[in-house]
Amino acid sequence: MIGVPWARESKQYTVLRSNALNFAVSELAPVADDLENTVDSPLLWKAVEKAGEMGMLAALVPEQLGGEGVDLYSLCVALEESAVESAGFAAALLFHNAALVPLVYSDRKDLVEEFTRGRPLCTAATAGETVLEEGKVSGSAPFVFNVMEGAPVLLFAGSGEARKAAYVRVGASGVETRIDPYPLGWRVSEFATLEMKGAEPHFVLDGSEREALAATERTLYLGLAAVANGIVRKAFQKAYDYARQRYQAGKLIIEHQAMRLMLARMLCAMEEGRALIRRASGVEDLAPAIIAWRRAGANACQAAMDGVQIHGGYGYMRDYGMERLMRDAKYCQMFPRPEEEQLLRLLDMAESGS
Amino acid sequence: MMIGQELSETGRRLFRDFPILRMLWESGRKKGIRETIGLIEKAEEFNRTFAVPRALELDMRMEREPEYFDWEIMRRACRYRFLSLFIPRQLGGIAGEFMVTNTSLLMDELCSGCSGIALAVGAHSLGVAPLVTSGAMAHWDTVLKEIVEGELREQPVTMAYAITEPSAGTDVEEPEYLEKAKLSLEAKKVKGGYVLNGRKCFISDGSEAKYFTVCAALDRSRPLQTWTTFLVERDMEGFSTPRVELKMGQRASHAAELLFEEVFVPDSHVLGYEGDGMGNGILMIMAASRGPVGSIATGIARGAFQHFLAWAKTKRNGKRPIDEDRIRLALADMWGMIQENRGLYMSNAMLGDGIFSKALDNPIMNLTLGLPSSLRTMPLMRNFLNSYYGKAMINAILRYYLKDEDMTQLLETASLAKFSCADNAMELCSRALSLMGPEDSEERRWVEKCYRDAKLTQIYEGTNQLNRLVVNNIRFEETLRVEVPRPLKKGVMA
Repeated sequence: MIGVPWARESKQYTVLRSNALNFAVSELAPVADDLENTVDSPLLWKAVEKAGEMGMLAALVPEQLGGEGVDLYSLCVALEESAVESAGFAAALLFHNAALVPLVYSDRKDLVEEFTRGRPLCTAATAGETVLEEGKVSGSAPFVFNVMEGAPVLLFAGSGEARKAAYVRVGASGVETRIDPYPLGWRVSEFATLEMKGAEPHFVLDGSEREALAATERTLYLGLAAVANGIVRKAFQKAYDYARQRYQAGKLIIEHQAMRLMLARMLCAMEEGRALIRRASGVEDLAPAIIAWRRAGANACQAAMDGVQIHGGYGYMRDYGMERLMRDAKYCQMFPRPEEEQLLRLLDMAESGS
Repeated sequence: MMIGQELSETGRRLFRDFPILRMLWESGRKKGIRETIGLIEKAEEFNRTFAVPRALELDMRMEREPEYFDWEIMRRACRYRFLSLFIPRQLGGIAGEFMVTNTSLLMDELCSGCSGIALAVGAHSLGVAPLVTSGAMAHWDTVLKEIVEGELREQPVTMAYAITEPSAGTDVEEPEYLEKAKLSLEAKKVKGGYVLNGRKCFISDGSEAKYFTVCAALDRSRPLQTWTTFLVERDMEGFSTPRVELKMGQRASHAAELLFEEVFVPDSHVLGYEGDGMGNGILMIMAASRGPVGSIATGIARGAFQHFLAWAKTKRNGKRPIDEDRIRLALADMWGMIQENRGLYMSNAMLGDGIFSKALDNPIMNLTLGLPSSLRTMPLMRNFLNSYYGKAMINAILRYYLKDEDMTQLLETASLAKFSCADNAMELCSRALSLMGPEDSEERRWVEKCYRDAKLTQIYEGTNQLNRLVVNNIRFEETLRVEVPRPLKKGVMA
């Protein structure tokens, strides 16, 4: 099978990738369709448990606080490999891990332990507007992933320099959830809008808020780029396999130039995504992470759409597994914020030298 | 202004969106244009009172219960006479001088509400089309009349068109590829008819239709020469529809598998004659139907656009997205795509009407269809219409009115409209979602549905890749030409 032929990684990451791939193939692949069809299923929790055993539930939290203390690229490797089999599961892991990032800036080992038990997963609210006034959280956070009873939700409350990393609990007093019954993709966990009216936060980070939020954002953008890259890889694998067995006009699809071009674009996308993620994870800046996310998200959408096209009618049908990639890919592009907003933000960053 | 006073709001909107309709009106085609406006008014009402209120819920339900079919769609379609679009007026249908244009505009309108519901309605007309264009008059007084009568009683009788096979999708829609196609279905000649064995797949409306127009090779090693269109009835022994697919979008209509196990089809159920299933069959139908697929894509794009516009005008935290330049620019881009699409599919539709109206409305057809139905259905007449001489007569009429070069140009414009509109629709929906981001809004849910729905328009009715090659082969290399059937030679027909 063709992988990402030109991507070379150090032994450390190669081993990690191999372990993550084993996890994805043995734990996620057999249940990926079932995960898609039932949120909050025992299958999900079994996979989460296994992910925990692999250190994927507190990956970025330092060892002294009870986490694994791995670098961001390592998390991206694990997410990319998981996303090859289930982008929804990988997104669930990402939101969980991103939500833990502010704890790195606290000294609360007890909270880390509490938040990383693996059930429910934590989550991060990326959109909407919330405020923290007199110690209470109010406002609305739309379309939050991983919403389940009791889940700690990280909010970026307030605006500008006054933003605070605050956690509320799903189901707590003053926190109302409105479940989205029918999201486009990532259907392994619930989406909901959280409405908060004077909700008591579970924890508010006091100090290093700015660094904590920047690191959280960086984790989200790079993690989403990794999930998107996993989708590109899966689209390529499935389309390549199909193109080598389906005949059209008397020859295999793979022999048609139009199909070869689509596959070649996917190959480039895989390499491009991997290179951008590696580069961005090696620097502390947020901008390269946003750039990687933009490119990988667009690539995933295109690859999944082309993958469906290569499969023809079969690609459009649930049973053949391609259409899920197309739905999941779009959310990699839509989250955590609208793309053009972030594009403009990049210019702002460049102008301000941040 | 006169036009403003004479026309309804819908008429004024249509004239604004489609200046060609205004030109036709002012050049004296008022009767036909009035019918067009009337049809779109009905479509608007259908969407407002029926399709839009239930589209999202139905889409969700079809995911849980893919085999469920909402027959109310078809009953409502009966009320508005959407099942008779391709049925000649002389038989009680509503096919007028702007038959293809009306179909295109109707699909644009219906799909702006819900393309799944619209497909359930439109796929029926696709099934009817071969019965009409093949001039199979022996069945017009039975099948087409039954559809019209059912429609008037709001007891829908529907048809479906079956081309795609499990191992041959694109292949069976193009002559050069058909020769190499891996076919599943085969029709063997037996005494008094044919026996069909094999499968068709992804057939829209396949699990509901009572009648099917089915393409099959008589000899799978020579498919192009033996490709033949049959009229199959659901209650024929050995025929079944064992599977309904769970589609990503356009779910309100079924995509079904058809299974043929020793299905006997009598000689009288050959539409046209043996071996003309590509030239007179599929290519003619594709020339007429790919343009409307472009309008389906346009309707989906317009639906997404309307919801995106509503989102853009809604205040969030004191601001409206439309107050930002980038959103205004995007809206203009999207509207440009929609109008570009409309230009393409209307070119095809107008050309189609120019061609088909002569073939369906001429002295010989009027004379034949003007006869009392009881005369046409007399065994003597039916036998004549099914005989060599009857088919030769119909063939001669078709050849007189349908010219190879016209049909070839029609196929070119149809294929161009199909792939361009589909690509634009996909891009528009994708861009709208990207601009909206993770929003908790009804509008986002609609656009997500449009995004799923739009993808199918790049696949069905020949993939966009095939349609591009068709345009190339017709326009730049002149290697593809639609051939209306030549005068019959005795002994080659059923």
